[in-house]
Amino acid sequence: MSTSFVRLVSRLLVVCMIALPFQAHAGLIGTDEVISATQAAAARDTVASFLNRSDVSGQLQALGLSARDAKDRVAALTDAEVAKLAGQIESLPAGAGSDGAALILILLIVWLVWWLATKK
Amino acid sequence: MVVGHEEIAAAPPGATQKARVRAGFFLTAALAAALCLGGCISLPQSEALYAAAPAGLPERAELANVPRHRQDDFLCGPAALASVFNAADVPATVESLTPMVYLPGRQGSLQAEMLGTTRRAGLVAYKLAPEFEAVLREVAAGTPVVVLINLALRLFPIWHYAVIIGYDLERGRVVLISGNREREEFGLGFFEYLWQDSGYWAMVALAPGRLPATAREPEFAASVAALERIGNPAAARESYRALLARWPASLPGLFGLGNVEYALGDPAAAERAFRRASEAHPQSAPAFNNLAHTLAELGRLAEAEAAARTAVALGGPALEEAQKTLEAILQRR
Repeated sequence: MSTSFVRLVSRLLVVCMIALPFQAHAGLIGTDEVISATQAAAARDTVASFLNRSDVSGQLQALGLSARDAKDRVAALTDAEVAKLAGQIESLPAGAGSDGAALILILLIVWLVWWLATKK
Repeated sequence: MVVGHEEIAAAPPGATQKARVRAGFFLTAALAAALCLGGCISLPQSEALYAAAPAGLPERAELANVPRHRQDDFLCGPAALASVFNAADVPATVESLTPMVYLPGRQGSLQAEMLGTTRRAGLVAYKLAPEFEAVLREVAAGTPVVVLINLALRLFPIWHYAVIIGYDLERGRVVLISGNREREEFGLGFFEYLWQDSGYWAMVALAPGRLPATAREPEFAASVAALERIGNPAAARESYRALLARWPASLPGLFGLGNVEYALGDPAAAERAFRRASEAHPQSAPAFNNLAHTLAELGRLAEAEAAARTAVALGGPALEEAQKTLEAILQRR
């Protein structure tokens, strides 16, 4: 059985186990749903969001986090933030800088470029 | 150089050397770029600031008491957050924040996680409008601002977080904490040049109950709802109240306040908030649905049924939920 098929099935199971019981609950409508443009979109997003969250959590683990840390970190993100990260963690900006000497050198160069380019 | 972190210790030993090699490469690339670029750089925001100071903005401001945090390689994300958390009276250090925001495999910190970590600290993470003026207004109001800048070229970026703590419009300067430099001054134009590649990304970390100087209603409501969502209703309640003090009829504000009051075990206060929401927004089925649910919780079943019937009559995407609420109330009567 192919890995991608196993991943698809296990994701669908995760969605069924986690998302569907909440869907069937009568009660308060969450604040998120009023903030989303329309509730229909919010309901659709629930499934997409669970898929994205498991996706991002897996990527974070591949980049060196423990399963527990990855789960806690993903839980702190909004659906929109998770959707943006899904599949893009490798390419989105990760602010770092570098050690002091290189930083000063780079800034000097960039300043030089900027000065040359903007002087009238 | 101090290397205090297991993440750093675990990084490949050649990492620092690689950074130097890359810096050398940038020297060549940057000079080449400078020669072909002459005059092509557009810096619209700082030019506008040089031309005319925004109305009502003090000419200069500097926050004297923002704590500095020494930063080892790659840890500018945790260091920048520690400074702004401390400014909002939340204890934090580079060591305490690194496991929450630093991503070893990227040797850096992602923007989304800067916002998420702020929420985990019990603060409202608010992304500013991508405008120089918004940053300056927040600083003038006493809030340090985290910005994402690109220290190298657009094609080969070196992303870096810094904290803006001051500005001087007369001299055309911004003041920032960057890396291990406790106070750095950049010209407005030069700063914009570094900042524009991130799409002018800037965020503030606000103590519960504090409204940003440049608050926009839907964006701030969404920021508070994100804090509510990760399970901090008490902090979210303070900020929803601040939102409602400024925009008393805000639907997400009233709705969110009702939901956090309910979560905090005060259905009477939740009922007042949902009632205000349903009065200010008589077309909002979710407001009537939640009002009905809360009234039923308080045992006021006749009023609950009336509210639930209104919610069902309004229909829309909340119809299914409203029907369930009505059925549940009818079963109890």
